[in-house]
Amino acid sequence: MSTEETERGPRRTNPESPPNYNFSSRSKLMSSTSSSQLVADKHVRYILMAEKKESLESVVMDHLRMNGAYWGLTTLDLLDKLGTVPEDEVLSWVMTCQHESGGFAGNTGHDPHILYTLSAVQILALFDKISILDVGKVSSYVAGLQNEDGSFSGDIWGEIDTRFSYIAICCLSILKCLDKINVEKAVAYIVSCKNLDGGFGCTPGAESHAGQIFCCVGALAITGSLHHVDKDLLGWWLCERQVKTGGLNGRPEKLPDVCYSWWVLSSLIMIDRVHWIDKAKLVKFILDCQDLDNGGISDRPDDAVDIFHTYFGVAGLSLLEYPGVKTIDPAYALPVDVINRILFTR
Amino acid sequence: MRQGPSSEEDCFGLLKQFEHVLESDPLIDEVGFIHPSQFTLLDKEAGSSNVYQHEVQLNSEISRKFWNQHHKLGISTDILVQLCKDAKHVFLLALDEYKCHGNVCSESQIKNISCSPSTPESDVMKHSQALLLLSSDFGTAWNARKFILSKTDQISAFTEELRLSGLILSNSPKSESTWSHRRWIIKMISRRFSTPQEIITKESELVESIGERSKMNYRAWYHRCWLVSYMAIEQVIQELNKSKGWAGLHVADSSCFHYRRRLMLKVLDFFYVKGNNVYDRTQAHKIWKEELVWNKELVERYVGREFFYQALWLHRRFLSLNWIMYFACNHSDVSPEPGESSIIMNEEIANFINNEIHLLESCMTVPDTKFEDFQAQALHAVAYMLWLTKKIPELWRMLEEKLGREKVKCLLSIIGEERPSLLLHLVNV
Repeated sequence: MSTEETERGPRRTNPESPPNYNFSSRSKLMSSTSSSQLVADKHVRYILMAEKKESLESVVMDHLRMNGAYWGLTTLDLLDKLGTVPEDEVLSWVMTCQHESGGFAGNTGHDPHILYTLSAVQILALFDKISILDVGKVSSYVAGLQNEDGSFSGDIWGEIDTRFSYIAICCLSILKCLDKINVEKAVAYIVSCKNLDGGFGCTPGAESHAGQIFCCVGALAITGSLHHVDKDLLGWWLCERQVKTGGLNGRPEKLPDVCYSWWVLSSLIMIDRVHWIDKAKLVKFILDCQDLDNGGISDRPDDAVDIFHTYFGVAGLSLLEYPGVKTIDPAYALPVDVINRILFTR
Repeated sequence: MRQGPSSEEDCFGLLKQFEHVLESDPLIDEVGFIHPSQFTLLDKEAGSSNVYQHEVQLNSEISRKFWNQHHKLGISTDILVQLCKDAKHVFLLALDEYKCHGNVCSESQIKNISCSPSTPESDVMKHSQALLLLSSDFGTAWNARKFILSKTDQISAFTEELRLSGLILSNSPKSESTWSHRRWIIKMISRRFSTPQEIITKESELVESIGERSKMNYRAWYHRCWLVSYMAIEQVIQELNKSKGWAGLHVADSSCFHYRRRLMLKVLDFFYVKGNNVYDRTQAHKIWKEELVWNKELVERYVGREFFYQALWLHRRFLSLNWIMYFACNHSDVSPEPGESSIIMNEEIANFINNEIHLLESCMTVPDTKFEDFQAQALHAVAYMLWLTKKIPELWRMLEEKLGREKVKCLLSIIGEERPSLLLHLVNV
C-alpha cells in the first residue's frame, strides 16, 4: 500500500479564481453543519461518485486503481454500505487484473506487483469471494518474492521494503498459506530494520516512519512475534506524533495528516499503548477534515479530499470506536467480521 | 484499437506535439505543470514574447499548451487530462506491439514517413518517456524501460536513464517509482560495469539539491541512505564532512539528521565494532565527540528562536546513548548489544551525564521575554533527558542528586502538560 502521504492543495474558496486543476472544489461559505459529527451518507455518496468522475486525479492515479478500489470498498463496508456496489462488476474487473504469474496489477493490462495483489485479495475477502481465486497460484506469486535474507521484493525488478514483508504476510495469512514462506527469516529481517528510537524503516538503517512502523508491527502481530518490539520505546515514539491540534504526523517535525490516524493508531493498539495519546482530540481532528457538503475527507482541515484520506479517516474513527462505524482489525486493515469469517472457516 | 478520426495522424495530436517538443530540446532539465494564465508571466520573466520553438497553429488560443525556453518545459494544465490519456493509450499499444512482435518493424511503421523510422522498441522508449513525464508513478512504463535496458551493454543508455529520471524528479520529487528506478540503474551499473565513486557522489548531491526544494522528502533521503551501502569508509567520512554545512542551515530537517546517523552508524560499525586497533577506535571517538560538540552548539545557538528544533534534540538522543554504550565504556573488548541494559556506570559516563544535566538546566531557565519559545525548548530538553532514563535507570538518582527533588518534580510536570500519559508511564515504572 501507499504509505507516503500525498500532498493535497487547498479547496477552492473563490469560484472566480483559477481552478486547482487536480482537486475538487468547495465553498467555505456554504457549510452550515457542525463538524462535530461524521457525515457518513455524504462520504458514501462521494465514494460512489468518484468512480465515475474523470478528473486529472483519476487519470493520473489509474495505475493504482486496485488500491483505490480497496480504499473505497473498505470504507463502504465500514459504513455498512457495501451492498450499494455492483459486486459482479467489481469482481470481474478485479480478475481481469490478474497476470499469468498469479500476481495482480493495479489495472487491466498493467504489470503485476505485490501491492495490488494484497488489495485484490482484500477486496475479494470483503465480498466473501476468495473462493473464486486459484489460491495456489496467487500464493506462489507472493511466496516467490521472498529473498534469501528473508526480505520481500515488490516485483521481479527487486526493490526491497518492509512494506512488502507486511503485504506478503498479511496476504498469505488471509489465504492461509503462511507456510509457503520462511516466516522465521521474514521476522528476522523485519527485526533487523528496528532503529535505536524503537521505530522501523523500509530497510535496515532507514528512517523510522509511521507507515513503515505499521507494516512491521502488523507483520510481527500476524506472525505472533510482537515480543521483538520494545513496546514502551516504540509507544514513546508513536505518542510523540500527536501535535497540538490533536492530529498525528508520521515523523518528527512534519505536519499532521489524517492517514497517520490509521498507521500510528493501529500500531499503538497492536502494542497496547493506545492510551498514550489523546483520543478525543484525534477524533475532533479527523472530523474537522471532512468536506461537510460534498463528502470525503482530506489530509488536514480545509484541504481537498480524496479516497485515500477518506478511507484512513473512517478507519481511524473505527479504531477510536466512533459510533456508526464497524470495527476494523488493526493488523489486517479489514472489518473484524470479514477477518473472523476467514479465520474461523475451513 | 480506438476508432477515431480518419487517419492515425489526426489522433493523439497533443501527444505528437509533446513528443516533438521533447525531441527538439534534448537538454530540457526541468519540467512543470502550469496554469495557462502563467504563460504570459513566464514569457516576461524569460525576457521574450511569442517565441515558439515548436510547430503549432498561430491561433494564440490553441498554441498555449507548451512553454519551452531556456531548457525548461511547462505543460498547460488545461491539456493535462487529455495528454495523459493519450500517452497512456499509445504507450500500452506500443508495449503490446513490442511484446507480440518483438523488435520487428510492422508494415505501418515502415510506411510511417512523418518522422525517422521507428522500431517497436524505440516506440516503447519514446512513449514511456512522455507518459512518465506526466504520470511518474506509472510502474508498467518504468518496467518496460527496465526490460529493454537490461538487454543493452552500453553504459550510455544507463546514464541517459539517470538524466531522464532526474528530469522527472524535477516535477515529481516524491515519486517512489522514479527513485526506485534510479536504484535499479545503479545496481545494474555496478553489476555490469564498475561503481565509480563519482556516480554515488553525484546521487548524494542530487538528493541534497532536491532536499532544498522538497523538505524532509522521505523517498529522497531514503535513497541517500541506501547509497551508503555502496560507500567505502573514506567516502562515508567525506560525506559526513561535506553534508555538515547543509545540515547546519536546515536544523529542523529531521531526515537530514537521520542521514548523518546512518553515516555515523557505518563509522561505528567499521571502526569500533569491526576495528582491530586503537587508532581505529580513536578515529571513531573523535568523529563522535565532534558531532556531540557541534550538536550542543546548535542547540544553544537556537535557544530563544521562534521554531524549536526537535530534530536537534532527537539527534542528541542517538549521539548520547551511543556515546555511553560504546565510547565511554572502560572495557575495550565488549560491545553491548543495542537493547541490552548492560550499561555499567563509570567515571567517564558519570561526567558525561553531569554535563548533559547541566545543559538541561540551562535550557530550563526562562528569561523574561519569549516565554513560549523557552517553554518549547524546555520540553524538548526534558523529553531528551527522560528518554535517556528509559535506557539508563541510574539516571534518575543522578538527576535527583544534582537537581534536587523539587526540580525533578518540575521536569515531570513539564512533560506531564504535553504528554500526560507518558508522565503516568514514567512514574509508574
